[in-house]
Amino acid sequence: MTDIIWGNGSDVLSNNSFVLNVTHRKDGNKSDYSDNERVTITSANLPGMPYDMSSWTKELLKESVIDAFLKCEVEKRDASGVLLGKVSHSGAGGY
Amino acid sequence: MWTSKIVDYSQINNTDLRCLISGKNSMIIVREFYNKKECQIVVENIKRCNNSTFQNGKLKHIGPFLMAHTTNKKTYFESAKKTQNIFKKIFCGINNPIYRIYHTVGQMLPEYSISLAHESQNYYSQAVIRIHEKGMSIPIHKDNVTYEGREYALSNIDHQISCVLHLQESEDGGELIIHNRRWKRDDERLRNIDFGYSLELAKDISTWRESSINTGDLVIINPAYYHQVTRVTGDTPRITLGMFLGLYEQDYKIVAWA
Repeated sequence: MTDIIWGNGSDVLSNNSFVLNVTHRKDGNKSDYSDNERVTITSANLPGMPYDMSSWTKELLKESVIDAFLKCEVEKRDASGVLLGKVSHSGAGGY
Repeated sequence: MWTSKIVDYSQINNTDLRCLISGKNSMIIVREFYNKKECQIVVENIKRCNNSTFQNGKLKHIGPFLMAHTTNKKTYFESAKKTQNIFKKIFCGINNPIYRIYHTVGQMLPEYSISLAHESQNYYSQAVIRIHEKGMSIPIHKDNVTYEGREYALSNIDHQISCVLHLQESEDGGELIIHNRRWKRDDERLRNIDFGYSLELAKDISTWRESSINTGDLVIINPAYYHQVTRVTGDTPRITLGMFLGLYEQDYKIVAWA
């Protein structure tokens, strides 16, 4: 089972990475996660972000993730401590 | 005092709608907007729909809603197209409530045109019929297409209003509560994982709980203000038909979608 964390996007570090202020962690996650995690996006489901990740810019990513409540499905943590994973807007499904 | 405005069909006016948009009123209730017999016919027609009509086994919806397809426009538009025929069947032979809602809001803003939203040949979902059975509730939330629907052309509207026609009420529960707090981006820190927000948002602010909504009433709210529906506790499901309307002030245009 994939580890999942949720939280709000804060600093954008590049056109595909940002800092997630972690507020929720899935019960049963295999690893521990700090309150602030750097995340590199490997795939995404973010309104406003083009499907083709090669056309992403830092500005577009800022508009999409800053303050937004996000779900991160963690694939792995790299040697520098950065998480790699799929990032989506969370809880916008509505009733 | 933050309160609801209760009117009948002949009393609807521009001032009430403008007060709602600016947050001076909590909601507008148009009494007996749709007659009870027609509500009954619609409910019977819904019951006759087969299971494949419903979008979601748990909550039972007829019709897609945009917020569930924020990054999947293709599926949303395809589903919206299919649902048009289902609505035609459900409203066959009776006064279509969707058009009646257009007409009503059109009377409140007579200088505005009103139509179903579309992007070239793709038409948005006309409405969503929601069936909330015993035990179901809707957590505190807001609706704001300019924030979450930014993949869609209508995310540049100036104002959003929500219209919900009550087709069937439960014996108990299912009450609408609206809080006098408008969503701001910073509130995203208080999101729940699956849907909605922490009740902490509603602490120490005035709230309007409307328990007098009857079958056939149309309820109009400004969905940027936090709202929720209490748990349905009666055996009869709560059934509503909902849609959003978006105002373009400079173009004197209203677009509808769900």
